[in-house]
Amino acid sequence: MSSKLEELQAYLNSHLEGKFTSSVLAWGELSLEIPVRSWLDVCNFLRHDEQTQFEQLSDLCGVDYSTYGQAEWDTQASSTGFSRAVPAQAPDLFDFDQVKAQATASETATTKRFAVVIHLLSLKHNRRIRLRTFCEDHTYPVVPSIVRIWSSANWYEREAFDLVGIMFNYHPDLRRILTDYGFIGHPLRKDFPLAGQVEMRYDPLQRRVIYEPVSIVTQPSVPRVIRQDQPSIASQESSR
Amino acid sequence: MEKGGTGVGIEGVLDKGFVTTTADKLINWARTGSMWPVTFGLACCAVEMMHAGGARYDLDRFGIIFRPSPRQSDVMIVAGTLTNKMAPALRKVYDQMAEPRWVISMGSCANGGGYYHDSYAVMRGCDRVVPVDIYVPGCPPTAEALLYGILQLQSKIRRTSTIARQLS
Repeated sequence: MSSKLEELQAYLNSHLEGKFTSSVLAWGELSLEIPVRSWLDVCNFLRHDEQTQFEQLSDLCGVDYSTYGQAEWDTQASSTGFSRAVPAQAPDLFDFDQVKAQATASETATTKRFAVVIHLLSLKHNRRIRLRTFCEDHTYPVVPSIVRIWSSANWYEREAFDLVGIMFNYHPDLRRILTDYGFIGHPLRKDFPLAGQVEMRYDPLQRRVIYEPVSIVTQPSVPRVIRQDQPSIASQESSR
Repeated sequence: MEKGGTGVGIEGVLDKGFVTTTADKLINWARTGSMWPVTFGLACCAVEMMHAGGARYDLDRFGIIFRPSPRQSDVMIVAGTLTNKMAPALRKVYDQMAEPRWVISMGSCANGGGYYHDSYAVMRGCDRVVPVDIYVPGCPPTAEALLYGILQLQSKIRRTSTIARQLS
């Protein structure tokens, strides 16, 4: 299986020279990273070339990488199991490596925030491949549409536009697909509040369902308070 | 007046198969005996609702026959997560039902949002849109729980009086 993918990787290296920035073969899966400007070229090639012939688009999704790699909770694993989760620590300002890592993380968060990932399947060669492209502008992310290559991309791209807010150039019908009519915002973006902006109720005076500003606040999940005076827990803590 | 009679003048025909009752009892008997629900399955609760309607629990024996049209229905079973997008449609279906009409809210999501209480897209309870008579708890409630809720609604209907005036 992996040898077939190695063949494919070598073939793509020779035939798509300069059109992708990296190709990674890991866990028996081949992933290409492609700049937006050659997105359509690469897709066209993979769809129509005799040696690749990826006839089927099995998935397309948008990704928001703005909080990628930032852990909300820290847990420590040991031979006896996992520790209780505690809120992740902010970087130590006196540790240069941590500060540098944080800075590069936030930099990539602003420059490479949105990505489109597709999974392709070649029924003829029994091979799969994953492609990823990062949008260049994170305030107005645009990727050319691949509906003309795989018509099944139509609703996937509508979904990615609806939930993540990625624009697809030359899409025939780029409307929202899942959220409410007249919905504002893109819910799968990391800066979208979980409780949203509006809630609904039936108004007996107007005799219709109306929208109102949301009344609840999103409650952060806090770790449980553990009483230290319980003998079993106290003995565990002291034995550590 | 004959001795031992009730004095309404029908004593002679009681032994010929006639019974006497109040109009309210007759109306409530008819209402509880044919509660036709409008099918409003929204999520996994709908599967439990189907189980209640299936051969084992057999809602037909209570005169409960699922109808595809709200205009032929007496009761609406809101079975599942009510999203914002569905809420106006649910209210429209409810408005199309003829009175008297009742609503059973089935499951945590329909009762108060449940697991999706904090979500941006889900109603925090279907009672924000329609008046609810019976809340059936559970996630999802078993078919027995729904059946129990339906029996509770029946006893609630039996307590209403349409003709007789309530003494305050």
